[in-house]
Amino acid sequence: MRIVLDADRCQGHGRCYALAPDLFDADDYGHCVLLVDEVPDGRQDDARSGVENCPEQALALEG
Amino acid sequence: MEVQDELESPTIHTVVDLASADDPRAVSAMLRQQRVHTIENMFHLLTHREDVEAALRKPAVFTSAPEAVQLGNIRPLIPLSVDPPKHVKYRRILDPLFAPKHMAALDGEVAELVNQTMDHFASKGSCDFHEDFAVPLPCTVFLRLMGLPLADLDMFLEMKDGIIRPSGVTMEDQAPTRRKTADDIYAYFEKTLVERRRAPTEDLLAQIMRSEVDGVTLTDEEILDICFLFIIAGLDTVTDSLDCIFGHLSQNPAHRLQVAGDETVIAPAIEELLRWESPVPAVPRVLGEDIEIDGCPMRAGEHVMLLIGAANTDVAAHPGVDSVDLLRNPNPHLAFGGGVHRCLGSHLARLELRVALREWHKRIPEYELVPGTVLEYTEGLRSLHHLPLQFTAAT
Repeated sequence: MRIVLDADRCQGHGRCYALAPDLFDADDYGHCVLLVDEVPDGRQDDARSGVENCPEQALALEG
Repeated sequence: MEVQDELESPTIHTVVDLASADDPRAVSAMLRQQRVHTIENMFHLLTHREDVEAALRKPAVFTSAPEAVQLGNIRPLIPLSVDPPKHVKYRRILDPLFAPKHMAALDGEVAELVNQTMDHFASKGSCDFHEDFAVPLPCTVFLRLMGLPLADLDMFLEMKDGIIRPSGVTMEDQAPTRRKTADDIYAYFEKTLVERRRAPTEDLLAQIMRSEVDGVTLTDEEILDICFLFIIAGLDTVTDSLDCIFGHLSQNPAHRLQVAGDETVIAPAIEELLRWESPVPAVPRVLGEDIEIDGCPMRAGEHVMLLIGAANTDVAAHPGVDSVDLLRNPNPHLAFGGGVHRCLGSHLARLELRVALREWHKRIPEYELVPGTVLEYTEGLRSLHHLPLQFTAAT
């Protein structure tokens, strides 16, 4: 399972990295930076949580 | 409010009532039966989550032109009334100053201010949560952040109310108070800038004053326009959110117990109650071009209200959002708006709310509405006129 970020859509709501700070981080502007491409085993729920809480639909899961 | 009447002919009061209704969810549900309403040939309402979300993401069509928000300011509010591409310049300066990591560092300082505010009433066993806590706290935090004297608190509250809640029923009645208050705000910050140049400080205002885009600092007018927006966007909205959250918890003991009993519930509970209450029930836009939604033609220059509260409770988009679940996940609500104008202060607001709920429930885990109280919510932005609470006296 991979996380895909559409950086143009991200507006810095910060929901993803508040919920799963080891999978998502913030740049200086508070916009999302992915810390992993492949979601580590056992972290699928947190990855899904980070993705599905984005109000901008800037994140998606693949695979 | 007569719910059925509203459906047949929503008026300008419907928008006002979205904040002040006992149950704004019911008003929203009714309005959502139609995707678009046109109010008295003055402006349009978008009621569906999908449409609100799409509009927030199209700032060239749904613009934040200065006429969208007329609050006595003589120049556009920065960054609220500026659209891309110029908007980007301001957000590049301001976003880092309000980024979550930056805000998290203020936790201890805000906790201290929360506790000082509570010291005034904790041992009494009762308070008016609105007057004694929700009103002073955000303003106290703001003064501290900006390096301004705490002695200016009452003056700031007057300036905030003079713009957001001026006396008078119509916009015309309210205009003189707004104009006069706006003059006071500009004058206050003009004086502050002069003082700061003479004796530089190290605070949020200092950071804004020395910020550069492409090697150029902001002009004094730009700084004033940012400070003006801070007062009108950053103070009342946190008061509203605190009132909404504690209003809900004091009337729903099961939810209060859930929050008081487990600190990890606080963060998701804040997201859920911001969604449920939507303290900012609508955001205004001005059309940049002619469009049509659901067969309703809208012309360039016309005003559109994006109904955030209706979008946040739109069961067609997200099943189950017609009830409160403090641990709701996912909860991609739009309480802080969306698109390029996503609330700049959202991470400061979240920090203040998080620390307030944490410190409050440590000291006063058990509280209730004073029996016989009928809560009255305010118009425009959803706060309470009063929130009388009683509790066992705490230290």
